[in-house]
Amino acid sequence: MAKRQPRAGDALDRRDFLKRGTVVPVAAMLGGLEIGPAPRPAPRRSRSRAAEPVACGIIGFGEWGRELATTLGRLESARIAAVSDRFPLMLQRAERAIPEAARHEDYRALLDDPAVTAVLIATPTHSHREIAIAALGAGKHVYCEVPLAHTVADARAIAEAARSADGQVFQCGLQHRCEPQHRGVFQFIRSGAIGRGVAARAQWHRKQSWRRASATAGRERELNWRLDPALSTGIAGEIAIHQIDLACWMLQARPVSVRGTGQIMHWRDGREVADTIQALVEFPDRLQLTYDATLANSFDGEYAVFQGSDGTVMLRDNKGWMFKEVDAPLLGWEVYARKDRFYREVGVALVADATKLAAQGIDPTQDDPNAETALFHALEEFLDNSVNGPFPPSAGYRQGYDATVIALATNAAVTSSTAVAIEAAPFPDLP
Amino acid sequence: MRNGVVTVRGVRVPARAPAPGVLLACCAMATRFELLLPDLCPARRDHVGAARLRAAGEEALAAIVRLEAQLSCHLPGSDISRINARAAREPVRVEPALFELLSHALRLYQETEGAFDVTIGPLMRCWGFARGTGGVPGERALARARACVGMHLVDLDPRRRTVRFARPGVQLDLGGIGKGWAIDRAVLALRELGIERALLHGGTSSVYGIGAPPGEAGWKVAIEHPAAAGNACIGMVTLRDRALSVSAAHGRSFRVGDVRYGHVMDPVHAAPARQADIAAVAGAAATDGDALATALLALGPERARWLADRRPDLDVVVLAAAAAGTADLVWRRGITAPRMHEER
Repeated sequence: MAKRQPRAGDALDRRDFLKRGTVVPVAAMLGGLEIGPAPRPAPRRSRSRAAEPVACGIIGFGEWGRELATTLGRLESARIAAVSDRFPLMLQRAERAIPEAARHEDYRALLDDPAVTAVLIATPTHSHREIAIAALGAGKHVYCEVPLAHTVADARAIAEAARSADGQVFQCGLQHRCEPQHRGVFQFIRSGAIGRGVAARAQWHRKQSWRRASATAGRERELNWRLDPALSTGIAGEIAIHQIDLACWMLQARPVSVRGTGQIMHWRDGREVADTIQALVEFPDRLQLTYDATLANSFDGEYAVFQGSDGTVMLRDNKGWMFKEVDAPLLGWEVYARKDRFYREVGVALVADATKLAAQGIDPTQDDPNAETALFHALEEFLDNSVNGPFPPSAGYRQGYDATVIALATNAAVTSSTAVAIEAAPFPDLP
Repeated sequence: MRNGVVTVRGVRVPARAPAPGVLLACCAMATRFELLLPDLCPARRDHVGAARLRAAGEEALAAIVRLEAQLSCHLPGSDISRINARAAREPVRVEPALFELLSHALRLYQETEGAFDVTIGPLMRCWGFARGTGGVPGERALARARACVGMHLVDLDPRRRTVRFARPGVQLDLGGIGKGWAIDRAVLALRELGIERALLHGGTSSVYGIGAPPGEAGWKVAIEHPAAAGNACIGMVTLRDRALSVSAAHGRSFRVGDVRYGHVMDPVHAAPARQADIAAVAGAAATDGDALATALLALGPERARWLADRRPDLDVVVLAAAAAGTADLVWRRGITAPRMHEER
């Protein structure tokens, strides 16, 4: 006989509660530590202010700028008022996608528009400094992609400008820090559920050239800044920054050094920037993150693994699983939780907000059809903060600066095939 | 590709790119998309030139992969899954391009008088196609599903850009239009990047030819006969800045007794389409071609003229279902029969 699915408002019995709440209820069993999205300071809500959508300006309408626009388009709290890009094709695309938005070739014209209150920067990394500082100077709230810059000096300049911008929001594009599943897993790991940290591993595998095409040759050179050794932060800067930051966040530790190597394994088209890299990021207490990324092979995609003496957590596609060691203490709830098989391993699905899903009549043991992307959550937080804040963002200038410094060190290790020390104090003059 | 001809609804597709040129592929929307970029300007015939072509191709295919993540009703977290989960409870805001697609789907629904309908999700589930097994539903189950089908149950609010369902159980399934929409978006990206010759197809059922291969009038495409052995075709099309979409009943199907039920749904009769075995539409946009080829499969040759009269811009061929007892009855306009295989 088919088991009746609970409806919204049903009281869940203990078994259902355990089965459905693979992350949340474990809190009670781990000494009362709440498991779920990490708490954020409550926004100061003002209905009249909140009713008005935030007028946003997007600077840079390339691939990522368009992704920002698509996501903002689903948020009731956003209105894209203006777009800026130096190239006519991108403005043409902006006109097609958001006809009501003003279009500017010069980003300064966008900043001069008093109607625009929040600015999202999705330009090449080496142009962030000029634009971010100008935007903050113009009194705008700023969402800036990571890495913040291609040099430590530029990243520091941005962070200092953000710190000085009293009353303005500065959020960086470490979007996974805003995503509920990641926040739930963060709390889960911090609760000690996988025991003492043993090692971490992350990978990013895609088959793509990383080259950009343009109808005009002149534009093509500028467009391919990621393949220009003088400007590019490499795969370490543009890609690995997210996963290395994830490790720093989950482990609540800052690496002390990084060793790396990089090669051109496939895309022999005259480029000098490696298409395949490996890095060993060393944290205090001898804990290491092994990282590899390639543009030459897509096998097994992208994920991160955190191994402890009692178990392992895998984060993949905004989903989490725990793999228990056989001698690990029984937590209880995992007996009833959904299990997914990975070859010979069995992963216990970690579901953030499981009780909330159950209350909505959604079976938390199934994939959540309401699941939003990390970017959606990040932009939602940014808009919320722009209206009701500023409160400390999940990923502010401090996290952005620190992640950038570590990513640039990783890129230096990869390009020089040496070990690079990472300074102990990331931003010593910050309060 | 054989003798310069791509066979549609068959398995003969380009295995290698002609030299010089590049062939790219990606998996999306439960099929394999292939993009052939045969043309290199003589001055660019070097590895950097090929890299430029590949870069343009990658951008086009990336657009398709992004659209799958947005449009698939099988992917939790897609925009369509979110709409299906929430829209009966509250209006769901969608981004402008998706709203445009849904509005276009509504226009096509009206144009075909319901023969093309993106609300067929409940029927697909009811007939077992969603779980991949297939089965004839009972009357009560069918009645329940029918009550949730029809675009009159979908409220599109252009001012707020929201989607709202009139009742629980309504489900969007863009399987009949998504691939064409993705191909049109990819073609637009290729053109913007200066590509003047290309062939892009999704699972060989939707094809778009940009420009023409060097020295040719266009991309020659043959529409395979669904039942005949060998290389028999029901039509030949030369594509030059045009799309060809083919819908056939002989893909996913199941059999009960002597009756075979294909996966293309006839929304008006709430049953798998059985009027035609194959329908093909050539026109300026793959989006319309995909949707109208699906509708023609439900309408069959007898009513093909009615729909074609509404769209004089399209070329059409429809082959009646063998099961309908009118084997090889073909209605065509603008799509010629191959010389070696005359229709009866």
